[in-house]
Amino acid sequence: MQTQIEKIFKSLSAEADFVAFKTVTEKTRDLSVRNGKPENISIDMDAGLTIEVMKDGHIGYGATSELTSEGIQQAFDRALTMTKVASKNAVHHFDLSVRPRSEGTYISHRQKSLDQISTAEIYDFLKKASQRLKVSDKIISAVADAMVIETEQNYISSNGSQFQQNFNIVVSSFSATAQDGAETQTRSHHGGRGNCLQIGAEYFNFDKLEQDCDQLSQEALELLTAENCVHETCDLILAPDQMLLQIHESIGHPLELDRILGDERNFAGWSFVQPQDFGKLKYGSKLMNVVFDPTVSNEMASYKFDEIGNPAEKKYLIKDGLLIAGLGSLESQARSKIPGVANARSSSWNRAPIDRMANINLEGGSLTLQQMISQVENGVIMYSNRSWSIDDYRRKFQFGCEYAKQIKNGKLTKTLKNPNYRGVTVPFWNNLAGLTVSDTVETYGSPYCGKGEPSQVIRVGHSSPYALFKNIEVFGG
Amino acid sequence: MVNLKNYLEKLSQEFFTQLQGDEESDFFIHSEESQFIRFNGARVRQNTHVHQHELALRYQKNQRTLRVNLSLTLDFDQDLQKILSILQDCRDQLPRIDIHPQFVAICNHGQSQSIKKVVRPNDEEMLKTIIECFGSADMAGLYCSGPLRQISINSKGQFHYFENDFFFLDYSIYNGPKAAKGFFSTENWSKDALVKNIEQTKTKLGLLNLPSIDVPKGKHRVYLEPMALLEVLQTMSWGGFSYAALKQGRSGLRKLHQNELHLSEKFSLIENIGLGYVPPFNSLGELSAKQTSLIEKGKTINLQVSSATAQEYDIPSNQAEPDERLSSPEIKPGTLAQAEILKKLDTGLYLSNLHYLNWSDQQSARITGMTRYACFWVEKGEIKGPIADLRFDDSIYNLLGSNLLALTSHQELFVEAATYQKRRLGVAKLPGALIQDFNFTL
Repeated sequence: MQTQIEKIFKSLSAEADFVAFKTVTEKTRDLSVRNGKPENISIDMDAGLTIEVMKDGHIGYGATSELTSEGIQQAFDRALTMTKVASKNAVHHFDLSVRPRSEGTYISHRQKSLDQISTAEIYDFLKKASQRLKVSDKIISAVADAMVIETEQNYISSNGSQFQQNFNIVVSSFSATAQDGAETQTRSHHGGRGNCLQIGAEYFNFDKLEQDCDQLSQEALELLTAENCVHETCDLILAPDQMLLQIHESIGHPLELDRILGDERNFAGWSFVQPQDFGKLKYGSKLMNVVFDPTVSNEMASYKFDEIGNPAEKKYLIKDGLLIAGLGSLESQARSKIPGVANARSSSWNRAPIDRMANINLEGGSLTLQQMISQVENGVIMYSNRSWSIDDYRRKFQFGCEYAKQIKNGKLTKTLKNPNYRGVTVPFWNNLAGLTVSDTVETYGSPYCGKGEPSQVIRVGHSSPYALFKNIEVFGG
Repeated sequence: MVNLKNYLEKLSQEFFTQLQGDEESDFFIHSEESQFIRFNGARVRQNTHVHQHELALRYQKNQRTLRVNLSLTLDFDQDLQKILSILQDCRDQLPRIDIHPQFVAICNHGQSQSIKKVVRPNDEEMLKTIIECFGSADMAGLYCSGPLRQISINSKGQFHYFENDFFFLDYSIYNGPKAAKGFFSTENWSKDALVKNIEQTKTKLGLLNLPSIDVPKGKHRVYLEPMALLEVLQTMSWGGFSYAALKQGRSGLRKLHQNELHLSEKFSLIENIGLGYVPPFNSLGELSAKQTSLIEKGKTINLQVSSATAQEYDIPSNQAEPDERLSSPEIKPGTLAQAEILKKLDTGLYLSNLHYLNWSDQQSARITGMTRYACFWVEKGEIKGPIADLRFDDSIYNLLGSNLLALTSHQELFVEAATYQKRRLGVAKLPGALIQDFNFTL
């Protein structure tokens, strides 16, 4: 198939100022087991082609699942016809510098490829986890699910680019919902679908999960009789499985250059960050060092090239609290004249690449977790995201977690249910008062970051240590 | 150009003849030919044309089910070879899976055909018209156009075909950071209607030129335009009307459904497939009731029950989709006349849109979210000026219960504009709402 597509590409590549073909094939096995019994078992086998054409400085797209000579020709013709019309009223006229020539191969780091594990073996793993979670009749729902994803991207372009990227991804979730009378509480393994990694079949080792399942069930039961989170302004420690959301919503999205340029205003929103803020805005305290890094082994959004062939490299976005670079692809960099990164990405073959996050990571600090807790006279530590909301400029947020502990005089005390907190992005990050050391950093992600018109979900990775914030409004249910 | 209906008839027949013994199978096909044009500054940021054909194949045997989704190439030999290979894989994998407690056997739910098309100029002409109509306005948004087809076929002889060729323009207009939201989609294309729609949005934008008012957090009297109330309804629908979610501890409206609390008598909600914007059959090919009353005068009458849920909990199904979401919700109108809205609001907040809502505490049905776009402070029935965005956090039992003062007598209809992975079919029809003591927190 790829040979035939390359042959058609050669016959069409001279018909515009620039032409690229990207084929995507993706197999996703999506399994869910509830209370030890199968709930959903589905296999998704997606395949299609993105055609990119540049005409008079404007870039337009055609996309088709009709991978035949006729289908590809039709998609190309539709893309070129509309691109010619649109180029007369384009937002920006680009030159070929936004499409670098790249060659190479990327393969997710893994010990055993995901095509080496059968659907039935994955089902057995999830069944064991679901059964292990159901420790009591009060656990009304014990769910184990997994998305097992194998993706291959092939990119060729008229400027000589040719690269292939091959991803193995596992997204998993394990949760126990406990109910007693009018009280219902859920505890999950790092919140919803926070467990996201590029990894192979070696992930499915139940020995590593057993203790975590026991802890989740016990904590779900514990929450049934816990007090509501206090409502006060106090110190707040966020665990890495909540920090992933805090980083995502209040650092990742506001730094996207296409938001700052206004492309997202009608859907995901704009940004409080202004072009003149780069190099000047004190985004957070001096402890804050945030990187864009698609080169980390096993993190969810690692790759060698973005989807227009820009080589991926680690870059500081915020250094010692100062904002220095944005999340913008070569196109956004050309439009805004702001330094960016290699992040033109699309959800699949049927959507155009836009500015995306990839891996956005907060670097570790100098404290052990015990030292951090001991510094807190009055506060709360919260774990695992369960609720999220932020305004369209990414200023005012409110987030909720599954589980919390009160901290009094440097010691963990009682368990609290329904913990929430709210704040405003820049003051919040300037209240960052401590980070735990690098070896406490944990890596999570999300398969569902939504953005774009037409809309797209993208996979992102976030790693973080535990973080201590001063003077935060916390409250309960 | 392949005739999709004929193609699928031939492909399915060829496949179904390969089934053996008590094997059964069905197909659900989503097909679209979509032109997407993304605007910023009333200029084109990106144009994408998509031909996308997806086949969801269910294979059943011995009370077990496997589902395989695949992209169709519309090359008969290639597609047939692929689905026959899938059939073999299903035969290998299925016996190793346990019996499905929600097993729903494939049945023949009959045949039907529905084809609709909004006659309009081609997409190139539409682009030129949009650019011309917005002129120098700072517009951002999405134009989406083209036929969308959904087809359900099974080995028992069922064949349902639905096709709707329609368009929408989802946009907002800006004056610096101030913005007003617009949406345009018609059954009969008219350039004059588009111009009128843009003028109405510009009029609202003009009101934002008044000096901004600093509104403190706390409780305020509020009018929610229908588009703002839609955001509240969509959040409630996130598991809120699903029977399975209720039984599995995921419902935000448990106390309502178990008669511990009620909403206002002014509030009634139906799932109204009869509005005609979604197929009359669900993704299993089951024929849905034209109307299902969910909340009547503040009390739960029915929940969405899929056949799988019905099987698991031994209750009747109302042919809801497997995820038990709402696809055509309608909130019944009230008595508040459009001309009386500002007068009845008296002093408070006029909210055109809300943004990024989520449950903040499902057990008490509390939701949080932000105001967005054109929102105003009103004093003694007169708009005084725009407000800075505010965060709210309040319970549905307050907003649509004890604090709901009135619903408008006019309803607005919103065609589904969601395009994640593929275009969605759906619609919502609802009035505006006057609410007292709406709780703002940040």
